[in-house]
Amino acid sequence: MLLNPVCRTFISKLSPFIDGELRAAERVQVESHLAGCADCTRLVAGLRAESALIRDGLELLAADADLRDFSASVMARIAPARPPLFERWGVSLRELFTYRRGMMVSLAGAAAAMLVFASVLLRSGTPDGYASATMAVQAVSTDPEAHVAPVVMSGEKGNAIIWLVSHKHVIEDTEPGQGNQVEDVGKEARPDQGKTKMNQDRPRGGEL
Amino acid sequence: MAIDDLTLVKRSRDGDQTAFKLLVERYQRKVYSVALGMVRDREEARDIAQEAFAKVYKYLDHFKGDSSFYTWLYRITVNICIDFLRRHRSHKGEHVELDETQAMDSAEANIGALGSKLGTNPQKSLLRKELAAKIEEALQEVPEKHRAILLLREIEGMSYDDLARTLDIPKGTVMSRLFHARAKVQKVLSNYLELDESKSGIGSE
Repeated sequence: MLLNPVCRTFISKLSPFIDGELRAAERVQVESHLAGCADCTRLVAGLRAESALIRDGLELLAADADLRDFSASVMARIAPARPPLFERWGVSLRELFTYRRGMMVSLAGAAAAMLVFASVLLRSGTPDGYASATMAVQAVSTDPEAHVAPVVMSGEKGNAIIWLVSHKHVIEDTEPGQGNQVEDVGKEARPDQGKTKMNQDRPRGGEL
Repeated sequence: MAIDDLTLVKRSRDGDQTAFKLLVERYQRKVYSVALGMVRDREEARDIAQEAFAKVYKYLDHFKGDSSFYTWLYRITVNICIDFLRRHRSHKGEHVELDETQAMDSAEANIGALGSKLGTNPQKSLLRKELAAKIEEALQEVPEKHRAILLLREIEGMSYDDLARTLDIPKGTVMSRLFHARAKVQKVLSNYLELDESKSGIGSE
């Protein structure tokens, strides 16, 4: 189809014309040309028909697609990108242990050694047991059935350490009583350590 | 009233995944349509559309509010499609890119025929499904950058200004590419309609 020279000046404007993208002045020019030009009117009809066809056809093609789980899939896809902080740390630690086990084991070992060293350093100022500054006795009681008697060693600041001494040297009999007493006394002052000390260095009555 | 895109973007940025899901649901069908028009493969189109949303989410912090969310989303979608097509070009043969400076009237012979073939009510003239398939095929004849413009214009109804922003090209280029894309599609469809005239019974306007 060959267009006359006047129509040629309009052809590039027909596509933006059907899209409503021409400036007002240009639109008026095109409209007045179309009023007297059957060829260009046909071109415009063709463009409009095509536009409608494409729109309709694409809509139809996309309508076939089942997109019900689409957004859920997207969310599943992005979820690993930003997991909660603790989860990310967990994952990176796991990965480190999996792929760099040697390095991580030695690092963990070094960290544990540091912890032990630090705790020894911290405790060296205030030794447990004898004359510990953190010990404070609140109550002392005896169990008359147990055949034991407390031996109290008082510290200079009013602290005290109490041994429970069996007069009969029958450890099996006095053990429960001793345990209870120690628990009562030791609540303020690290019961576990106190107990261990009692068991390891259980003094005999005669020596004190 | 629906919450506007920008508010949903801000909420998503603050970690509200429900807000982002709303954005996905708002645009999923159109983004999928654009991808389908670009790559003509349902599974790939679905995957590309999902990738586009995932990418948008990933770079949400980089989104500046100076352009609208949807132009940004479509820009990412089109870029993923073009990358995909370039990777798979060897399988499908190479398109000859049209020269941007080519005079517009060189395509004049291609347009116009469709109007007389189909009339103004094309849906009645042909089985819609069959025509949809033909349109999909015709779109593949259009160079990808031109096709992207045509798809965004027809599916999303994007203005020329938004098309220029989305594809980062001058408005004049939008205008000429759109014109060429339309001329090309008309030519393919017209040829098809002429070939099928006898059996489909159309073109008797």
